[in-house]
Amino acid sequence: MGNGTPFVTLLRQEWFRFTRLWKQTIFPPIVTTILFILIFGFSLGDRIREIHGLSYILFIVPGLAAMGAMMNAHTNCSFALYMSRFDQSIDNMLAAPLRSIELVTAFLWGGIARGMLVGLVTLAVSLLLLKQPPYHLGWTLFFLITQTVFFGCWGIVGALRAKTWDNLATAQNFIITPLIYLGGVFYSVDLLPGIWRTISGFNPLLYMIDGTRYGVLGVHDLSLLTSAGLSAGMSLGMFALCVILFQKGYRLVR
Amino acid sequence: MNAIEISGIKKSFQNVHALKGVDLAIRQGEFFGLLGPNGAGKTTLISAIMGLVRPDAGAIQVMGLDNRQEPMAAKKLMALCPQEINVHTYFPIQKIMEFQGGFYGFDRKTSKQRAEELLKRFGLWEKRKVGKFNLSGGMQRRLMIARSLMSDPKILILDEPTAGVDVELRHELWDFLKTINQNGRTILLTTHYIEEAEQLCGRVAIIHEGKIVACDTPQKLIVQHGQKGKPVRRFVRPGTLEEVFVNLTGKRMEEAQQWEMAPRL
Repeated sequence: MGNGTPFVTLLRQEWFRFTRLWKQTIFPPIVTTILFILIFGFSLGDRIREIHGLSYILFIVPGLAAMGAMMNAHTNCSFALYMSRFDQSIDNMLAAPLRSIELVTAFLWGGIARGMLVGLVTLAVSLLLLKQPPYHLGWTLFFLITQTVFFGCWGIVGALRAKTWDNLATAQNFIITPLIYLGGVFYSVDLLPGIWRTISGFNPLLYMIDGTRYGVLGVHDLSLLTSAGLSAGMSLGMFALCVILFQKGYRLVR
Repeated sequence: MNAIEISGIKKSFQNVHALKGVDLAIRQGEFFGLLGPNGAGKTTLISAIMGLVRPDAGAIQVMGLDNRQEPMAAKKLMALCPQEINVHTYFPIQKIMEFQGGFYGFDRKTSKQRAEELLKRFGLWEKRKVGKFNLSGGMQRRLMIARSLMSDPKILILDEPTAGVDVELRHELWDFLKTINQNGRTILLTTHYIEEAEQLCGRVAIIHEGKIVACDTPQKLIVQHGQKGKPVRRFVRPGTLEEVFVNLTGKRMEEAQQWEMAPRL
């Protein structure tokens, strides 16, 4: 028996959960994102002027990769945990000698792995198509990881709060998707008129997407340090919240 | 040292007092039965032992370990076979078993071996690549018992393990449970089948409305709480645990056999 075995088993379980259905979990989001690039970039992109000296198609690539990573991290974590609550398999995990932080990390790991896979494959395919090397791999990875952590944790909180499958879909459709779309995936915040630019500043996703764009292309609208600090802070804050909720047994222990 | 020692456990859900101060001691190596009608508090008590329910008051010790102060050490000693088929819906059952071994610290190779042994022992090896929906009701129950044995627990808690299984399989499971008990494992069993409790349990506690109303060997319970000159109710076998149960709870076993399995969402 090894001390780390239970935690490693949890990680393996969450990896198994989404990779065994890779045709449904990994392949479609990559195809969707590449279709976005083809449609918005190649067919409409020529009619849009350059942004930060870059063609429109190149400008939207980092945002689309970030969007894929965020949404898949959220979907994976929320679905995995809610399904475990629904089929009550979570009770088996709670009855086993597993710590709250290990359970949260494992659910989160599934989301991070799926989000990163989608984000990185999207980036790799797009940049190969556009013959553009990434500007700074370190920052690219930093922002993709913090995004997947933040959205994965958001998915965990959502799955704990949800009482129906509808609740899960509502959060994704009416909160997360609009925030991502209004977070500068398809435009530069510099192009917005004054009041809208100020309002956009309250959207935390703007900083994550802007940071990713810096990592991939070397251009950004906002302070890099502010974006990095906010992304890291929000991710850590959400992770701490998830661990506390698990420790308290929120909607898990009666 | 007792295997499980429960002192003054109370638990309420909103206005429902599920447990009203339960005291119980289960000895090491014992085959202990918990009988009670629907809503008596059996599953709540078992869930409290496993840490799935947080009691409002009282304490539970597992082999001398407080299950709230030292939950990891206490959980390592126990395994639960619940009423519900609470396995991952779309996982192949072999994976379910292997992951279960890993949760309790067995390495991959050992988990694989144990999973194979147990799946073969319970006649599920041929079905190892399918999920729970491809198993019959009896196979699902066997899977639950097999999974609970993956961790080789010192204390096995079985919540209605033979509910809904056919007579032949039930007797097979009884033989198996008797054997593993004789090998030194402590077993706590809840059941609605009087015959099951009579056949298997060295001692039985009857829980009613959140309280233990009697606890002793089946023979002593029959002597203490049997007919005692009361008129025999129709369909109740005199001189059995069933009679004791009816006298103490006012309910027949069939009335007690309804249970809910709604997910907690």
